[in-house]
Amino acid sequence: MRAEELKGHLDAVLLAALEGGPRHGYAVIEALRQSTDGRLDLPTGTIYPALRRLEQAGLIAGTWSVVGGRRRREYRLTPAGIRALSGRRAAWQDFSATVTAALESATRVNTALENAALEDTACPSPNPA
Amino acid sequence: MPESEPRLIRGYLQVLAAQLPGPIVEELTDGLTETYRSYRTRGLPADAAAEAAVEEFGSAQEILAGFARVNPARQAARRLLGLGPVVGGCWVAALVTSRVWPGPEPARVVLGLVLIACIGLTFVAALGRRYRVAVYSGIAGCAGFAALDASLIVGTLLVAGRASGLTALAIAVSSARIALCARAAVAAQQNT
Repeated sequence: MRAEELKGHLDAVLLAALEGGPRHGYAVIEALRQSTDGRLDLPTGTIYPALRRLEQAGLIAGTWSVVGGRRRREYRLTPAGIRALSGRRAAWQDFSATVTAALESATRVNTALENAALEDTACPSPNPA
Repeated sequence: MPESEPRLIRGYLQVLAAQLPGPIVEELTDGLTETYRSYRTRGLPADAAAEAAVEEFGSAQEILAGFARVNPARQAARRLLGLGPVVGGCWVAALVTSRVWPGPEPARVVLGLVLIACIGLTFVAALGRRYRVAVYSGIAGCAGFAALDASLIVGTLLVAGRASGLTALAIAVSSARIALCARAAVAAQQNT
């Protein structure tokens, strides 16, 4: 899945990646890869501005540490972030269930119509003329 | 990143460092180093690992555009531009109805020129794609608007002696804009 297909859902996906505990940017990407079996194909660098945006919104909080002589910024969910994740997860499940129901219903209707057409072809109605 | 790391990665980080504040570059350096090391761990030679890491990270332009969008100075500038017509409308209504003009004509011309400069700077901050340019023009715009509002408030009170009706309303919205400018300038300063 490409980044553009994820548009509108990136924030929720990043919040979910931080649900298990504090992570730095690269660890967030790794967590997303593992949780989606590598199907999420995001340019790694683009998640850093998204993390900043979530921090500005108060949904995550960042702290600095030093690892291997390099400064590293780790993020964790804030209480507002936990609430936001819960809300987005519920909204997504509702949306997903609605669209799945609509798509499966359309498949059932199409199958029924195709079956009816096949029956008509096999047993044509008698011609009154 | 240590000197031993490939030139490709150092060059890539230099492009980002020319545009972005130090703490952001440090964070990106850590991420890119981790990406590079993961390719090295998988057995790629240094140059191939650097190439793969940079490709996975995304183009520098993509990253710069992403940070430009979340720049606090840009967001504050957009709020200031939205608030501008409200503040301006209140002052025009107050000055026209009360017929009180703060200061002599040359001072009013200077205020007008400062206003035009502030609007220009704020537009640059709101629309600019260069992170640091947006920060510095945003801070200058905020300082200019705050000085302009303070001059209008003090000048009007000195000339009229008191504020009532529309003048009081104009002073209130100007005071709100001074507070907004102060907060925005501090937030932008923290991101330089």
